[in-house]
Amino acid sequence: MLDIKTFILDIKTRVLYFAPKENGMSLMRLGRKLDAAIADAKRAGEVAGSAIEETNKYYGLRLLRAGLLWVSTYAISRGMLELPDLDRSVRILIALAPLPLFVWFLWIWRNGVASMDELRRRIELEALAFAFPICVVGFMTLGLLQLAIPFNPDSWSYRDTWAMMPALYYAGLWRAMRKYE
Amino acid sequence: MKNRLKVLRAERDWSQADLAQQLRVSRQTINAIETGKYDPSLPLALKTARLFAQPVEAIFFLEE
Repeated sequence: MLDIKTFILDIKTRVLYFAPKENGMSLMRLGRKLDAAIADAKRAGEVAGSAIEETNKYYGLRLLRAGLLWVSTYAISRGMLELPDLDRSVRILIALAPLPLFVWFLWIWRNGVASMDELRRRIELEALAFAFPICVVGFMTLGLLQLAIPFNPDSWSYRDTWAMMPALYYAGLWRAMRKYE
Repeated sequence: MKNRLKVLRAERDWSQADLAQQLRVSRQTINAIETGKYDPSLPLALKTARLFAQPVEAIFFLEE
């Protein structure tokens, strides 16, 4: 790391210029050791930097994997619930099947946010602040419109409105990321 | 809020990535602070001040 590097260089300069000359050989050895220490410190800094990037990449991949699993389970459950001759208790189990995966997805997201730096947390917050009020207004308006002109249940269902939330969240995320680029 | 981060960084010949590593934040955060798009939290401002061995108000200041 650069602050350590500066510190070590400062010590090296002091030792080499102000120490007695008869100890020249040992001082050279000390100089070599200090050079090695500088190289190690620099490498440590590079490792720390790449660790941040790797953590972000790893979090993104885990979130994507959990999200895909959750949505796939939802799609399978949705398809199975269309089958007519299923027992009531089985139907309830199928309906609840995506829930553990959704909790897992949320857990990864929460841990990911906790490990982010402050700007990334702000971006996440701004994305939610963008999505939440639009969802509230959207649902409220749809509810009022349904009272005014009843929707055709074959082409419209509130079951499908949940997808509006992640879509708006990702739109908010994209918007916030662009803002701080 | 304005800041002298870019100048201080240039004086030490550090890249944004170097500074980001030392402050344990992303390079995007440093870039956003330098361009005035994002004001750092108090802990990050204090860490920055400690790194450059300067008072916080010498690095971050309000626009006139």
